[in-house]
Amino acid sequence: MTTPATGRGPRLSPEQLGYLAAGPGRAAETALARLIDRGLVRVSRDGLVTAVHRDGQGAATGVERSVLEHVRTAVRFGTVVETAAHDSEMRLLRTLLVSLGLMRLPRRRSASWWVYLVVAALLAVLGIAVPALLIGTVFFVLVSLRLLGRNALTTAGKEELARAAASDRVLAVALHGFRGEVAGTPVGDLFELPRSVVRTIQLKKDRKSTSDGAGAAVSSCSSCGSGCGSSGSSCSSGGSSCGGGGGCGGGGGGD
Amino acid sequence: MAGIAELGVGIGWRPEIDLTVERLPGVDFVEVVAENLHAGHLPESVVLLRERGIPVLPHAVSLSLGGAEPVDLGRVEHLGEVAEAVGAPMVSDHVCFVRAGGLDSGHLMPVPRTRDALDVLVANVKLAQRNLPVPLALENVAALLEWPDGELSEGEFLAELVERTDCWLLVDVANLYANARNIGTDPERFLDEIPLERLAYVHVAGGVDHGDVYHDTHAHAVLPEVLGVLGELCSRVTPPGVLLERDDNYPSDAEIASELAAIRAVVTGRQG
Repeated sequence: MTTPATGRGPRLSPEQLGYLAAGPGRAAETALARLIDRGLVRVSRDGLVTAVHRDGQGAATGVERSVLEHVRTAVRFGTVVETAAHDSEMRLLRTLLVSLGLMRLPRRRSASWWVYLVVAALLAVLGIAVPALLIGTVFFVLVSLRLLGRNALTTAGKEELARAAASDRVLAVALHGFRGEVAGTPVGDLFELPRSVVRTIQLKKDRKSTSDGAGAAVSSCSSCGSGCGSSGSSCSSGGSSCGGGGGCGGGGGGD
Repeated sequence: MAGIAELGVGIGWRPEIDLTVERLPGVDFVEVVAENLHAGHLPESVVLLRERGIPVLPHAVSLSLGGAEPVDLGRVEHLGEVAEAVGAPMVSDHVCFVRAGGLDSGHLMPVPRTRDALDVLVANVKLAQRNLPVPLALENVAALLEWPDGELSEGEFLAELVERTDCWLLVDVANLYANARNIGTDPERFLDEIPLERLAYVHVAGGVDHGDVYHDTHAHAVLPEVLGVLGELCSRVTPPGVLLERDDNYPSDAEIASELAAIRAVVTGRQG
């Protein structure tokens, strides 16, 4: 399996990078991309995916094995991704990324986080006259920060993602999805896939209120630009920093 | 050989491998199963191939020209419509029957090689030809049995068919190999007896052994022995075209390309 030249830290597979970039849906896309790349599955013009070999040979990961098992008879392109995204193998993949210190349990942003911040500010102002109230200021600031939520990616995870580059077409899928673009080129075109086939991968709307980067929220962006949840980070073709905040592409699959 | 163009090396187009066929290097022509196409709704892939100038030849499996029942002109008409829709230089079917007594065999059944059966076949072929817009080629089938009281060898039977109908021949070398294995016929004698100047093109396909029987499955690799029969044919005539048939259990693009290259090597090796 191709591994990105990350320079330092754990060497991640494209599938792992895909998960970091946009959750299980993207990891599923990446697994499918590698199987296509290696000629282990065939995609027809009407979007049906079938395994070339019926014995599952060539799979490099559990997700790939699961995909090959699924497509022993023809399955629609988007359905392959959707099913793989919900496969039990994805939990194992996430557990691995957590154990590597690249992911953590995310916290969703509460809609009321700013209320606590306003209260803290008020107490700070009153604290000029009554210094004891400053203790309350600190308390409400901490509560506000807690309710602000937490990205699923750790700093190390974000760094891994930032270092990764779409140096081949499988990595392009990992970082941007089949429906994304690399340097203005649709990623699906790198696989010579008809647009109608690529469009069968469903894009789900970004849940703006969440900072759960584990893939439950999938943005409607086409090239991993927006949809990074509360982190507000951006992506480029040279390396996504879509720090787990919802991410893009990848037909669903909550974590 | 008026009316029959040089075709080169081709492959049977199937929807499961449409993108593969489009991408494969060195595909000079394709064949489509006529019954699976509708003239008014051609698959996008077939249209694309036509736009590239790749000849598309409809191949029928249901005319049942060797049957004793009247030819179903609706099926002939459909074949002709598909031929016109894809701009085909010719169409083809088999020397066989697939229906009798209201039953469908689900298999290409060999025709008894008697003069009576030949008369019926000739009449049916002529009727079909009158209703087709392009020339008709007929293919030898793989048989797991031989009808009793045959009066002609398969080669003689086809030679007389050609003489009386002016049809073209589509020679399936895999079927020749299968018949040699299963019913002991001689491919070389067949090739000696048929009018090779009426050869339209050649089919090559893979198969597999099941005990003592060879099955022409179109779902396994082409055996070297089948390529050997192709080589024997090429030692007698330069075929206008040679086409790989694959209908199931499709291998990787690389393996398909490799089979096409092997076929081309046999053809060009003999030509060179």
